[in-house]
Amino acid sequence: MIGRYSGVVPHGDLLFLQKLAERLRDRTFLHINSTRAGGGVAEILQRMIPIMKELGIGARWDTIEGDDLFFDMTKKVHNALQGNKEHITKEMWDHHYDINRMNAKRLDLDADAVLIHDPQPAPLVEFRKSATWMWRCHIDVSDPVPEVWSNLKGYCAKYDAAIFSVAKFARAMGTDEFIIPPSIDPLSEKNRDVKEEEINETLQKYHIPPDRALLLQVSRFDRFKDPLGVISAYRMVKKYNDCILVLAGSPATDDPEGEVVLKEVRDHAADDPDIHILLLPPFSDKDINALQRAATVVLQKSLREGFGLTVSEAMWKGKPVIGGATGGIPLQIVHGVTGFLVHSVEGCAFRIRQFLNNPDMSARMGERGREFVRNNFLITRQTRDYLSVWYSLENKGKSVLTL
Amino acid sequence: MEETIRPFEFRQCISILKATGRMAKNLREFRQGIAEVNEESVYHHTCQYFMKEHAREYTNDFAHWAGESLEERALSEHLSNVDPYDFESISDLRNEFVRVIDSYLVFFPEPREVLPGDEFYFNQTITFVFPTGVRAQNLAEFLMAIKHVDVASIYYHFYEARTRLGSGIDDFSAWLENVFGKNDLAGRIRSIDPFMHTIEGIREHLIEYVEAEVRRDMEVMT
Repeated sequence: MIGRYSGVVPHGDLLFLQKLAERLRDRTFLHINSTRAGGGVAEILQRMIPIMKELGIGARWDTIEGDDLFFDMTKKVHNALQGNKEHITKEMWDHHYDINRMNAKRLDLDADAVLIHDPQPAPLVEFRKSATWMWRCHIDVSDPVPEVWSNLKGYCAKYDAAIFSVAKFARAMGTDEFIIPPSIDPLSEKNRDVKEEEINETLQKYHIPPDRALLLQVSRFDRFKDPLGVISAYRMVKKYNDCILVLAGSPATDDPEGEVVLKEVRDHAADDPDIHILLLPPFSDKDINALQRAATVVLQKSLREGFGLTVSEAMWKGKPVIGGATGGIPLQIVHGVTGFLVHSVEGCAFRIRQFLNNPDMSARMGERGREFVRNNFLITRQTRDYLSVWYSLENKGKSVLTL
Repeated sequence: MEETIRPFEFRQCISILKATGRMAKNLREFRQGIAEVNEESVYHHTCQYFMKEHAREYTNDFAHWAGESLEERALSEHLSNVDPYDFESISDLRNEFVRVIDSYLVFFPEPREVLPGDEFYFNQTITFVFPTGVRAQNLAEFLMAIKHVDVASIYYHFYEARTRLGSGIDDFSAWLENVFGKNDLAGRIRSIDPFMHTIEGIREHLIEYVEAEVRRDMEVMT
């Protein structure tokens, strides 16, 4: 499998992975999260564990089990860490601990390194045996509800290290804190190379004309993604530039807020035949891939964002991108180099016009964006970073390590 | 007996980012942070600036933040003019940044706070150095290697070497001078402005200079 990445990811990343693996060979690395399917964490683990195994590392992946009460509570914790007001009672925290205690009996926690993903399994650290324990936080915790963070921190501080996606998410905890951004898999269904016919098939399926400039935003129908702002920007662009707008997201079946936003989007789009609102069913990765490749300009005009990996997905396809200057988007878009960062609807419209009127600049930035993603946001980089943190914790105190 | 040539062993480095837990939201906190963070953090935000892709407006993270987030343009120009390779130690480099900010504060004592989300986060790195398995024994092999090694290898030998070897000297020119006596070529490489190029731009300059030298050598031989 790892051979398939040769010629796609930086040669040095593969070389470094092999060098690190020589030192970690036959040692065990356990990952634990709360779900095997759905969500970015499961998506990346499904692909990362086989890579680690192929490198000769005894990588395993387990999930914790819990009841509805547990998952309701952890959903509230998730929201509170992102800054939403939630009240978590002492009984709920006790239940959180009890469920983890039961999982600790069920799971084999014996490994040389253990990486615990997100708050759900965080209390497992109370049952640690020897070895290196790391807590990986995938959530934007830059502005959490203080008492919720304070409770969780009690567990996090017991790890040897915590890992955050963006520097501003890191919290002072008295333990080592590393910054490891998430990544995309260039060989996955969402990012692999596709044939021209596959792109046309998707465009036909969704009745999108192939011969007009296409502006695209792929995201949930969520106010933080600012779909109404995207429509307003498109209207400003349209005054002088012919184009169509595609807003592609998932149907909001289990999210009442999503239904409301979707209705607002439809109302705002009115009966403009050039605005295509697509509700993509689950497992639409191939269609997303095709839409991103068909796009002239890709937008991620978020007002608040965790990391926003759709930006890297579009950049990997060599597309000019425009993103809101929030969350992890500024890490991916180097303003004026790999795309444009915007702070307003007007700014977004202006940058779209620049791209539509300067195909050479679009191509140049798209190409630099692709190389930037190659060097920074592919799965081999994230794999090497996890192994590096483990290795550095076993060689504590050194800022330069020679392999 | 033939003299053994010391080959050039290409190495490269990869770094992982570590938070120091310190941040600044205005110039006074920023100044205090620079004065107090560990040396690894000062090194990361200055000497390792070229590991990252960025607009060619600034030459270190401190200047970048002062210009883009604090919007103190004059200060960012002063900070960009600090050459980290002019200093014998990180401590001296740190003192220079603090001096520049203190001078600025005399004339502009009440700079504003940055917008939420634009704070400066002091980070540091743990760096891994490893051999790439590529070695060159003569100028032609060196040229081939320069064309194909990863940018992280060019970074290691051109930028990181300056602090490792001291005096702003890079590994490439040192090898060409010490092993082959190519003083002119070494001088041309040392005259490449390290602040004005991407690493790919540095690679292009290296290729141009070495290619010209190889061509010259071949012409002499015929």
